[in-house]
This record gives sequence, structure tokens and C-alpha cells, in this order.
Amino acid sequence: MLLRRIYQFLMIYALGIALLLALKYGLGLSDYVVPGPGEIGRTAAVYAGPYLLAVLNTLAVAILGHLLAIGLATAVAILGRLTAWVGSFIRTAAYNIQAYPIVAVAPIIFILLGDGLASRLLIAAMICYFPLLLSFIGIFSEPVSEIEHFYESTRRTTWRLQIKIRAFENVHKISTVVVGSATMAVVGTIVAEFIAATAGIGYSIRIALYQSDLAKILVALFLIGVVTSLYLVSLEGLGNALQARLRRS
Amino acid sequence: MSVHPGSNLKHAAAIFLMAGFLFACGTNEKLEEVNYRLKWLYNVSTVGDLYADARGHFERNGLKVHVKPGGPERDALKELELGHAQFGVASADQVFRAVAKGAPIVVLAQLFQVNPLNWIYRPGRTPFSSPDDWKGRTIGVTFGGNDETILRALLARYRIAEAEVDLFSVRYDYTPFYEGRVAFWPIYLNAQAVIIGDKLSRAGESFGFVSPDRLGVKFVANSVVATRQMVERHPETVKRFLAALLQGWREALDPQNEEQAVRLLAQVDRETPEAVVRRQLAVTRELMLPAAGVAFGKIDLDAWRQTAEIMAAQRLIPAGLPVEAMLVTGPKPMP
Amino acid sequence: MNLEVRHLAFRHPNASSDLFSDVSFQLPAAGFHALFGPSGVGKTTLARMLTGDIRNFHGEISRDGSRRVLYTYNLERLPGWSSVRRHIEETAPPARRRQAGELIAEFGIEGCVDARFSRLSMGQQNRANLVRYLLQEFEVLIMDESLANVDELTREKIILKIKALFPERCFLYISHNVAEVARFCGRVLVLRAASKAPQVVCIQGADQAAERPAPPPQLLERAMLEIVHAA
Repeated sequence: MLLRRIYQFLMIYALGIALLLALKYGLGLSDYVVPGPGEIGRTAAVYAGPYLLAVLNTLAVAILGHLLAIGLATAVAILGRLTAWVGSFIRTAAYNIQAYPIVAVAPIIFILLGDGLASRLLIAAMICYFPLLLSFIGIFSEPVSEIEHFYESTRRTTWRLQIKIRAFENVHKISTVVVGSATMAVVGTIVAEFIAATAGIGYSIRIALYQSDLAKILVALFLIGVVTSLYLVSLEGLGNALQARLRRS
Repeated sequence: MSVHPGSNLKHAAAIFLMAGFLFACGTNEKLEEVNYRLKWLYNVSTVGDLYADARGHFERNGLKVHVKPGGPERDALKELELGHAQFGVASADQVFRAVAKGAPIVVLAQLFQVNPLNWIYRPGRTPFSSPDDWKGRTIGVTFGGNDETILRALLARYRIAEAEVDLFSVRYDYTPFYEGRVAFWPIYLNAQAVIIGDKLSRAGESFGFVSPDRLGVKFVANSVVATRQMVERHPETVKRFLAALLQGWREALDPQNEEQAVRLLAQVDRETPEAVVRRQLAVTRELMLPAAGVAFGKIDLDAWRQTAEIMAAQRLIPAGLPVEAMLVTGPKPMP
Repeated sequence: MNLEVRHLAFRHPNASSDLFSDVSFQLPAAGFHALFGPSGVGKTTLARMLTGDIRNFHGEISRDGSRRVLYTYNLERLPGWSSVRRHIEETAPPARRRQAGELIAEFGIEGCVDARFSRLSMGQQNRANLVRYLLQEFEVLIMDESLANVDELTREKIILKIKALFPERCFLYISHNVAEVARFCGRVLVLRAASKAPQVVCIQGADQAAERPAPPPQLLERAMLEIVHAA
């Protein structure tokens, strides 16, 4: 799966570069507008190392933020299933807050928390939190009556058991949502860094944009693609292993 | 008062014919359409561009100019090369980076004779008489921006090692400066400086500005640019555009036209109070026309050379770029 | 009497007609009885009313001495995180755990209870589910198609086993198999459409048990005819 994912990413990336180069040579554009292969190669030689560290820095924040969001979404979704009113309130609030563009919210967060790790972490968590929350509320509020009926009839139901049943029955859905939100966490972190942080690949991209250096951005995009693919494959692998273990009799 | 119906009829007929003629002239005369991409959003640094448009200077020169605002995500130079715009505004560092990568860009006119980028500070807390006073202080800088290049040039010029100062990455939030965590904050003299200065004054704090220009670093700011092909293949269009534009700028900066200029800016920038715009305009005038007798738009060859040297020294561009070849110097066209 | 239903009337919210207009019947405290009727006539709804899950009806349900009425149906599943045996053992009251092994063996699922529930056939799943219910504390157990997908011989064996092991308890078996309910059930409550009166007809079944000789065929035939006729 890892190889296939990387292979697919490389194909998309190569296609994108090929299109850009076709545009460059077709329209006779300078290296300033679209860098040539030589320029990209030279930039990669110089910046691949530092950019890789920046991407790993971003990824670390994204993973932490993602974990934070998963934990928080689980907790809130569990609370949300207590009563229909609380659930519907949380759902409405989540939909509303989710609608705010992060570019508008991020500066407020950076003013309050500064431009350190806390802000990046919070924004990464925020951006993937609401989709997770909405999915988790759906999963944890939906009874699996053909299993839960027995426990309710025999008065054995506890909230832990209910959550366990619903989580177990929806493990594939949860795994898909977690993997999907991982991409959002990475993107959220990059956007946060781009807007206001002083570290990570988003910050590097911002500097490259200041300098109108598309070659640097292409190198950054390549590394983001590779590293994000690796992260997603790891998550998928983890999810599959978990499901396989659960299925094993 | 006597009434002469016949005379009134003649007048009406004459007005009707005249209006028809003017209307016909207006529609039949084919205006050449060009796009002009600014570097930033409409603000005081674009007042001349807006003025030339509003006063009909472009039309009178046979041009229909779409004056388009810029922004952080816009790059006039790329738009010129891609043919989306025929004229644009870019800073000198942008121009050098583009030319270094083979972009066929030439500079038609230099808007700012003095770079508006300064560092604001509070003398009561962190006095400044020379860059040596920076030692041990925290200085704000936009990493990747031209203020970083200018600051590094100043540090090099005054032999201050980077380790002797603390560089702080700045954004649009001035809180670190207000809180005193950052002693020197980069600021555009004709834009935020007026607003931030007011805030500090209200708080009873004095403030000053460190001017790189006065410290001997002449780093060129915004200029009007076009592609070399545009200049070579459509010299008449370029001439007419420049004539109209420079006339607009001269008039906009003329204190006699201040009311019109301020009103014009108020229409496009509703966020900034008129009183602030008026003061911004006065500062802009000093930066664009610093001395009597300086022709607006003059290309300061020495400043361009110094800008190239600074950038080459910091390895932002290769050394030995043909600076003169990319500048259209000489007398500017007059309307 | 253990369970008594008097003049029960009910209409589903937003429904245009009554599901029950006047349902009345009685069930003794012990025995294996049946609730019979065509699909959609309201057997499951009635069962839910007996357990107390549905309360917004008119009439009265008296459950003197039957505080614990359990309802089980054939689509129920056991959680998949551990084996069927472990679930059965974990959910059985300590005093009844020993009986779990006996039921598992008698119900013919010994060979599959160490697997997870999803690996079992539908017939095995229904039997495993029934086992865990039988191990619970209850006075009345309503078995809604609980032996669906189980072959006839095994079903017979299971019903006889239930009757032998739990003679003091009351079972209400919901099934569409006329021959089966006529043969094994004491009383067969035939539930009919609301337009018919009475809505529930009580037929005496042959009530075959392991310790008694098989009922004569005439008795069975008569019971079956009565059930079909009533339905």
C-alpha cells in the first residue's frame, strides 16, 4: 500500500511538473515565472534538507494536533450523546464554527497565544476537530439496537459499554474519518504556519512566496506530498491492523 | 425678463448637436485597453495611479487602463510575462530577482525616491542614535521580505554581527512591539506609521523612526515596470501610458490638489479615516518628491546599483547583473 | 394468572387506523405458549408493550409476579470483540454459569462458540443469542422468531429442552409455523387484525413435552385447524 501510495503521488507530482514545464516552454516563460528543471534541481539540492526538517516539524505538530482533536472529539461526542439537546447543540455549534475560515480565526489565536507551538497545535487541532466531532457524534449517538437490546433488557447498559459497542461496530467508519482528518490536520498546520508561525514548512513557503521562488515551493510541495503520504499510509495500516485483529477469531 | 422662444430653440438644437458630437467622439474613438497591476491594495501609495484614471488622463492619451489592485498573492511581474497585464508596479528586489532568472522586465519609472520602510522605536525605552544601539536589542523583521534584506545590509554596513542582535519574525500583529518585547518594528512611513504613531501618542509615548536611507542604505522601493517586448514593440503605448500616469502622480502629490486626492482615496479605501489619509499623503509626497526640483518618477541609478550590490552580497541574486540595461532612464515623457 | 392484558388499544403515531382496538388475553405463570398471527398484525408491538418498552397505549397490562419480562428477537447480535462463549459466560449470572455449558451442548453450538459471533451461521447465531437470554433472570421470555434458520429437528429438541429445564417460567414464542406452535405450545394466542373481534383468540395447543408421550395426530390436526381458522 505504501509503495502504491507513493507511486501514485509521484505520478501526480510528475504530471503537475510536466504541465508547468509544457507551459513554460510553450509560452517561452522565464525561470522567474516557471523554473526550469535545472533550477528546480539546484533548489532541491540546497533546500531539500532544511525543508525536510521543516516538513517533519509541521508533521509533528499536525500529529499532535490530530491526536488532540481525536481525544477532544471523542470526549465531546460522548457527552453529546447524553441528551438529544446537548447533542444537537454541539452539532449546531460545530457546524457554525467549522464555517469560519481559518485565515480569519488564526490571527486571533496568534494574538492570544503568540506564534509558538501552542497556536500551531490549536489551529491544526481545530481544523480537523470539527469533521471528527460531527462524525463521532453521529457514531456515538446512533444506537446499535440489535446488540444493545440485550444489555438494555437485562439492565447491564453502562455508557462505557454503549461507547464500546458503537465504536466497535463503526471501526471502519472511524478509521476512514481519522485518516481523512489527518490530511486536514497537515493542511491546517501548514496554513497556520503560513499565516502566522515562525517555523514549519508553511512558514518556509511563505518566505519563498515573498521571494517569488516557485522552485522552492515545488520542492516544498514534493516533500509535503511524500511525508503526508507516509503518514496517511501509517494511519491506514494502523487502522487495518486494528480491524484485522478485531475480526480475527 | 423677456423670453425669446426662437433663441431658446436654437440653443437647444446647438446643445443637442454638440452632445451628439461628443457622444459620437466618445464611442467612435477606439481606446487601447491595457491592464495595470499594482503592487498592493488601493492605498496612499497608489494615489497617483488612481488619480490618473479618475481625471481621465489615460483616456486623453488614448488608453483604457484597468488599474487593478495588488496584494500578497499577486505578482505583477509574472502577470506581465504571462500577458495578463501590460504595466505593473513592483519593488526593486522583485525586479532584480525576476531579471536574474531571465524575466524580460524593464523599469519605466521609480515611484519612491526614498524607501518608505523604516523601523519605529520608542526612544524613551530604547534610544537610537546609530545602529550600534541595536546591539542586544530585539529587532522585528519579515523573514523573506525586503526589510530583511535592508536590515542585513545595515548590519553589514555597520559591522554588527547577527549574533549581536535578536531578530524577531513579525506579522501584522503589533502586540510584541506594544508590549516592548520587540524594540524596533519595521513599518511603512506613509502607511501604518501614521496610525501606530497616533496610538503611541495617545498612550503618552514618544516614538521615532530609523531610516535606512539616512543611514546610507538606498534600497529602491516601488517602480513602474513593463516587459522589454512591450517597450520595443509598442513604444507609443508605453509613452502615452507613462505620460498619463506621471501626470496623474504629479497632480495627486500637488498640495493644491490634496482635497481631490484625499476624496479619491476615501472612495476606494473606506477603512482609513480621511484625516489619516491626509497625513499619509503628506508623508508620501516627501518620499516621492524629497527635494525641490526632483522630477517625479526619476530613476536613481546609484540607488539601483546599491540595491543590486546589497542583494548580490546577500546571495539573493548573482553579482554583475546589467543594472543599466533594465532601466529606462532619461527624461520622462510629458503629456 | 401471571400476565393479563385488558382492553388494550393502540395506534402508531401518524397511522390512519388502529393497530389494536380491543386486545384482551391471559397467560398462566408458567408454560410454553405462542403468539401467532400474520405479518404486520402487531406481534412485535404487542411484545414491546408486554416488556414495557411501549407505554402510550390505552387499556391495562397486569404483570403480577412477572416483574422481569424479557424480549429477544432473531436479528440480535453479540458484540464482536470476543468469542461467543466468553460473552455468554460474562453475561450469565454467576449461579447460572454452570448451566451455560449444558445449554450450549444441548443447543448444538458447542463446536462454534469459541468463534466470534459474525463467523457463525444464522441458525447458530440465533441459538447462541437464545442461550444467553435463557441464562438471565426472568419470569417471562418472549422469543420472537428466535429459532429462525434452525432446522426442524434441532428446533424441536431445543423447545423440549427449554420446557424441561424451565418448567416454572413462562415463554411466549412468536412463530409463523402452525404445526410447531400447535404441537409444542400450551396456549396459542392468535392475534388478528383490529377489525376482527375478538382481536385475540386463545387456542389450546397439544403442549408436547419430553416427559409425556407425543400427542395423538387428531389432537394436533384439530389445534392446527383451529389456529388457521382463527387467523
